[in-house]
Amino acid sequence: MARRADPPSNHWYEANDPDPPPLIISSSGFRTQMSLSPHTTPSGYRLPSIHAAPPFFTQQPNPSTQATVTEHWTRLILSYGRFKKIWLLKLEDAEVAGNDWDEILRNDRINRKLPSSHLGHILKQMVAKNQAIYDPPKQTRSVLLYWRTPEEWAEVLHEWAISTGQLNTILTFYEIIEPSIPSPLSGIPLPILRKAINILTATNRAQIITIADGEGVRLLAGK
Amino acid sequence: MHRLGGVGIAAFDRQQQSQRSFAELSTTLSQNQVNNLHEQLAQFRSALLRFASTHRDSIKRDPNFRHAFQQMCASIGVDPLAGPRKGGWWAEMLGLGDWQYELGVQIVDVCVTTRERNGGLIELGELVRLVSKLRGVAGGSITEDDVIRSIKTLKPLGAGYEVIDVGGGKKMVRSVVKELDEDQAVVLAIAQEEGGRVSEEMLMARKGWTQDRAKAALENMLLRDGLCWLDEQDEINGIAYWIPSAMHWDE
Repeated sequence: MARRADPPSNHWYEANDPDPPPLIISSSGFRTQMSLSPHTTPSGYRLPSIHAAPPFFTQQPNPSTQATVTEHWTRLILSYGRFKKIWLLKLEDAEVAGNDWDEILRNDRINRKLPSSHLGHILKQMVAKNQAIYDPPKQTRSVLLYWRTPEEWAEVLHEWAISTGQLNTILTFYEIIEPSIPSPLSGIPLPILRKAINILTATNRAQIITIADGEGVRLLAGK
Repeated sequence: MHRLGGVGIAAFDRQQQSQRSFAELSTTLSQNQVNNLHEQLAQFRSALLRFASTHRDSIKRDPNFRHAFQQMCASIGVDPLAGPRKGGWWAEMLGLGDWQYELGVQIVDVCVTTRERNGGLIELGELVRLVSKLRGVAGGSITEDDVIRSIKTLKPLGAGYEVIDVGGGKKMVRSVVKELDEDQAVVLAIAQEEGGRVSEEMLMARKGWTQDRAKAALENMLLRDGLCWLDEQDEINGIAYWIPSAMHWDE
């Protein structure tokens, strides 16, 4: 059996890769397997080993296999969003490099990237499972991610108001989104904030108040 | 004619009496034999108990010793797991039954948790590695032999756990009821050599298959069995198939 001088797994890493994957040498002495290991990105995020598997980036024709793939991508996207505090994910992020999502949507070590059609499929599933919403509504090219659910954000907001002594005062949405002292809510997209406030309103822990330059909210102690 | 024992009623009595004596003698004899056996068994038991308590730790810890012990059991026709009580008295003395069952549970654990990505087919070495990882360092080392033995004890569960030989000294463990045809076995063997990657071109070049045959085998594994994943960004052939059970996962 003629063995290629240049085995196909050769393209998996480059000699100057700062973090070359470990090679498993089989007993016959041929380099036959590369261990799929977790990888820490320059921003400090630990990518799961599946991100180093070349077929992970292809949309699978077998529905049950694709369900597994989608599940892994969903987990990865939500966890990375939470890690970097980014809410917005667009199909464009898969099409054009040079954005917040490069570390996830591409893997230069194995020369793979997530096609935007595959990303579109994943986003659709995430929206169906209430793990994201299309924003703006009535389109399917960008989503806001629920790496925390609106219910969780409602609690975060309420606790923040208590711990910063801002119960019963009127806060503008702007003051919540861009507080002078950074908070867990810094940068929260308005649609998610609204949902969180609505949840608090329903349990008598917030009141929406119309003020001169728009809307505000008064957070209450509740029961 | 002179009959032994004479004739008439008296002879009948005499015959009955001698039968009784024979019966008595035989009872005594077999009683002796039974007692003898009991004695031997008791001796064997105590010797075994001594052996077990002396080597218990070695049996649990040392794979070579364990293997030798299992072989010894097999050659004298004793199954360490069999016995009247739960797990067998052997198992009770050695704690080996629990050990084997525990290993079985861990094997099932690994097979089930990896099933979604490998379609229910895992390479034996990989299984050993993952089970060892699950057990931690304190669990002591386990061998492929131990795993195969444990899988045999899983058989009565009817879950379809089976060790299959894919050739080239490679074994895989199948945890779903699924028949593998010959072509798929060839594909698996090549995937093992290539770290999981297989392509139509590879099968054509190495096995002399026609493209149709290669395509059919791979598509069946992909679409029907969910045993491999498609890669549409392959640098060499454009399209490649990856068999997760032949890939080396580390997490």
